[in-house]
Amino acid sequence: MNCKKVEKLILRAFDGRLTEDEKKELEAHLKQCPQCRTTQEEYQLILDTLRKEDFPEPKPYFLERLQPKLREVKKYEPWMVWKQWGMRAIPVSLLVIIFLSATLILFSPPREEVELSQAFSQSGLLLLQNQNLFQETTTLLETGGTEDKNMMVIFTSIDDKNGTRRDF
Amino acid sequence: MEEKDLVRSSKEGNEEAFASLVKKYRVKVFNLAFSLTRDRDTADDLAQEVFIKAYFALPRFELRSEFGTWLYRITINHVRDFLRKTSRMKRLSIDEIKESSIPQEDETMKREKEQTEERRKKILRRAIQILPDKHQVILSLRDIQGLSYEEITKILRISPGTVDSRLHRARKLLRKKLAPFLSQKGGNHELQEG
Ligand SMILES: [Zn+2]
Repeated sequence: MNCKKVEKLILRAFDGRLTEDEKKELEAHLKQCPQCRTTQEEYQLILDTLRKEDFPEPKPYFLERLQPKLREVKKYEPWMVWKQWGMRAIPVSLLVIIFLSATLILFSPPREEVELSQAFSQSGLLLLQNQNLFQETTTLLETGGTEDKNMMVIFTSIDDKNGTRRDF
Repeated sequence: MEEKDLVRSSKEGNEEAFASLVKKYRVKVFNLAFSLTRDRDTADDLAQEVFIKAYFALPRFELRSEFGTWLYRITINHVRDFLRKTSRMKRLSIDEIKESSIPQEDETMKREKEQTEERRKKILRRAIQILPDKHQVILSLRDIQGLSYEEITKILRISPGTVDSRLHRARKLLRKKLAPFLSQKGGNHELQEG
């Protein structure tokens, strides 16, 4: 067996990953090859030193220092909370979108009014219609906003019932 | 309470359960971070950040793997990101400053054997730090922390064959870098970069 293959066996032996046959092969080779014996000794020294590596004590009050940080993140980085609940929030967001679309369809301006505005071509009336339309859009957006808030309230209260509010 | 129950409770927002998990794993996370950064303050900061990340990722953790495995994976990814951001030279210079600040009297008071041991550890640390990150990680997991092959395959999501080849490559690189030191048993050689 060549020494390059033996180096592989030496390395695998440190992890207890040799078959009985491989163990015998390695022993036999080491007996008659001083170069591979040195290789093995060097690896042994390196691994012993690594395993003896001492670690300093972790700094004190680890948990006590961690808890306020978690609270801070929740307070000032809401995207983290969004990320945290992101997966669960998807169905809720879908519901909000469906609800909003339904509102838009149900509360769109009546047909007669649109026909009326087409019949009257005076600029004053158009301007008036535009203003109305603008107002309607604003109202819709506002309703959307409150609905969003409502959904959020419902969302949080569901969490509360399940005891999943993550206050620290 | 068993660990699985602690994890389930933490997922539901139980503070005490999460605190128990922090207490159980803080040393392990800190040691892993320390073995890769060689700096106590940095390792402490990183460990804190790891638990913050874990806390906010918990609702998405599905208990398919062990909590420890999952946490180790978060730690390694986080430390890797940190190592990528910090330049290698900066890390080495931090290490050098810390080492040179050891009072000289302490050194002379130590017995000769301890000194050799210390010097060997110091050289080894420096040699590890100039290895590519993935080799540092595998040496840290297997040869410093003593994790099993099975745990490592799960944490790094690699096959046992890849653990073998990467670990062997890392040990070979380390021995190559330490060659001048090993041949002279205690000589004070400069380590080769790259
Ligand atoms: Zn040989």
